[in-house]
Amino acid sequence: MNTSLLNPFNIIYPTAVQASLPSQCSLARFDRSGRFVVAGRSDGSAAIWDLETRSSVRWLEGHVKGITSVDWSRNSRFVLTSSKDWNVIVWDLASDIDPPQRKTTIRFDAPASSASFHPRNSQIILALLQSGDAYLVDLRKKHRGRVELEEVQDDSDDESGASPRSAMTVAQFDPTGRHIFVGTSTGSVLVFNTRTKTMVARHKIAGAGVMKGLDFAKSGRRLVTNSSDRTLRQFTLPTYSPPNADREYMEQELEPTHKFSDPINRIAWHAMSFSPDGEWLAGGAADPASHKIYIWDIANDGQLASTLDGGREPLLYVHWHPSKPSIVSTTNHGNILIWHCPAPERWGAFAGGFEEVDENVEYEEREDEFDIEDENVLAERKMKQEEEEVDVLTGKDAEEEVVDHPRVNGDEDDFAWADDEPDEDTREWKMKIMMEDESDMI
Amino acid sequence: MSPPRQSATDDDSSTEDDAASQTTEDDPQIPENQHVPLPPAQLHPPPIAPPPAPPNPPPPSANGHTRARPRYELRHTLSGHTMSISSVNTLAHATLHKLLTTSPKYGRRPPGELVRNLNGHTKGLSDIAWSPDSVCLATASDDHTIRIWDVDSGLTSRVLKGHTSYVFCINYNTEGTQLVSGGCDGDVKIWNTSKGRCIKTLNAHLDYVTAVHFNRDGSLVVSCSLDGLIRIWSLPSGQCLKTLAEGHNAICQHVQFSPNSKYILSTAHDSAIRLWDFQTSRCLKTYVGHQNSKYCIAACFSVTGGKWIVSGSEDSKIYLWDLQSREIMQVLDGHRDVVVAVATHPQQNMIASGSIDSDLTVKVWVDGGAT
Repeated sequence: MNTSLLNPFNIIYPTAVQASLPSQCSLARFDRSGRFVVAGRSDGSAAIWDLETRSSVRWLEGHVKGITSVDWSRNSRFVLTSSKDWNVIVWDLASDIDPPQRKTTIRFDAPASSASFHPRNSQIILALLQSGDAYLVDLRKKHRGRVELEEVQDDSDDESGASPRSAMTVAQFDPTGRHIFVGTSTGSVLVFNTRTKTMVARHKIAGAGVMKGLDFAKSGRRLVTNSSDRTLRQFTLPTYSPPNADREYMEQELEPTHKFSDPINRIAWHAMSFSPDGEWLAGGAADPASHKIYIWDIANDGQLASTLDGGREPLLYVHWHPSKPSIVSTTNHGNILIWHCPAPERWGAFAGGFEEVDENVEYEEREDEFDIEDENVLAERKMKQEEEEVDVLTGKDAEEEVVDHPRVNGDEDDFAWADDEPDEDTREWKMKIMMEDESDMI
Repeated sequence: MSPPRQSATDDDSSTEDDAASQTTEDDPQIPENQHVPLPPAQLHPPPIAPPPAPPNPPPPSANGHTRARPRYELRHTLSGHTMSISSVNTLAHATLHKLLTTSPKYGRRPPGELVRNLNGHTKGLSDIAWSPDSVCLATASDDHTIRIWDVDSGLTSRVLKGHTSYVFCINYNTEGTQLVSGGCDGDVKIWNTSKGRCIKTLNAHLDYVTAVHFNRDGSLVVSCSLDGLIRIWSLPSGQCLKTLAEGHNAICQHVQFSPNSKYILSTAHDSAIRLWDFQTSRCLKTYVGHQNSKYCIAACFSVTGGKWIVSGSEDSKIYLWDLQSREIMQVLDGHRDVVVAVATHPQQNMIASGSIDSDLTVKVWVDGGAT
């Protein structure tokens, strides 16, 4: 709500650690509002942290082995956790009972390595197993089912089967939810249509090796990949045509627009995350002895802008705040670090009627500025001005603005399909803050 | 224009407190127990059915508006305070009962019943605030602490220590997870209510901080002080975003955000209440007609029926202005001393008011609705 009072020019990227939350977790993600963070632990439990009070407000216990991924639904009512114990659990944070009740448990026949909600409907879940298979699970009554995503093999190649089917190593929805992007162990990115579950494109990425991670800019037009060759690549995505009956797909080699790597230390990357405006990219370095986040300036030809040093605890995961210059990162000692951009004190704000300017400005007085006016006239004019109606009740919060993606022809089917049987995750829903009492504080 | 007044005869003697009212705040000999348990508050008059609608139809306002006028009538008088409220220490006990009736939960009770006395502070209280769920009550005291009470049990659940001087004003955020308090040392503190810890200290002002208020989403805090400035702070960074000054003769003593948090309402010692657009630092409306040059008198929005601005006054009356036209729509007469505290019910057309020194009562006014 205070964005209009803040200076827009100092919003860049975070530079300093604001808080460290001891959570024993290995990965942490912001929700869409940026107020809450879900932290997944290697012992199988997860915690929801409220950043406003810096306390954990929910405790999710249900897995018996380490959590491999966490995800939030649109309006933060549901949380998805996947675990090495072969289960994927949907948690409903609206339940009054503490600990919250699980809404659904989806059981697979192999350890789950990641799971995510469809961006428009939390009843559609994409799950990836460590065996290299990806499943789209639909929990809606009308569409209920579990479909395996299958790569279409090029049978024009040698028939001997010399190239075995590559394993899927990473799977994610794009921000619109229309497509599923899957990275494989052979260094290609497969694109599936979510509604029809058919493959619409295959992108070979030269020299990438095993795909380790995917992340999208908010617009959905740009993709960054992490792979075993220790390089992050950014691509501009083509427009995918809607799937046709012949199951044709696009075979295209994508050229990265930028490549990010550390040429000196040759470190690998654990995770990466775009800033909300897509102008910055944060990469979490897999350095065994330090906690380093690299920030690249994409708008400025992808050059390295800064390296954030978070101490000696090695980094595991990085996620950028959905609207602010803030990053959450986790250490392998289990701490969550919240990075922020320390606001420089604006001394001009302390004096009424003053404004800070960056450089000297020649002041031009208005024509009537020092005219002596009759006080009655002034008072009358003031009275006139005060006739204006004011609205003290209604108003829109800035965060209520809906980001709608540009619609391309042929999208309507996909969106209508996803919006069918909407979930209970409405915009009005607000999490009730429950904190553990520390009665010894008195 | 004055409403049909009911005989509000508070025969509760308050003369016995005159000596006590002279006690200075920093006097260590101040009586420990300010809330002397009394028999439950008496009702003057008993809650009989509301009297029939006043026969006089609302007179058309001067400029031809046909706005419905508020018709608040005295419903209850609550007495039970034995300790006066010093001139600086304005909002004190009066508000306790006042807000008991205006909080959503207790509004449903047969109003006018003294629910509980809360004993614990060693010195006088300056301000209280209800948690949004009406479970807890926070009190700001001259003993430099804030206490959070569980209202049902009457026990203190938290004591917030950290202010280096009297705590003068206090408010909850919309979710009840944070408290903001202002002290006489000029500091504004943000507290985590469940842990009872101070999250942030803002060296906000150079003089007594007389009012603090969160905006709706908790991203801003407004504070005002006897140094004459209104400041707006960003949370969680604690950065000062803006300073508004009312003018050299208008020391601001109470400030709050409008329900949608777009504007702020401030009262000042030049007997004016102003509505500000804090984005542009422009004063949009000025409400005058009451007297306010000495005490910290609070004003508030009434949005349950018509849109009014309600404020107490030093001529022992309560004034209601029309939010848009700035006309005085009703004057409530009944208190016998300065009305320092008013509060409106969040859902019903109900106003509670508290008065000081020689009156020591809380009165509840109800608008019977359209007739």
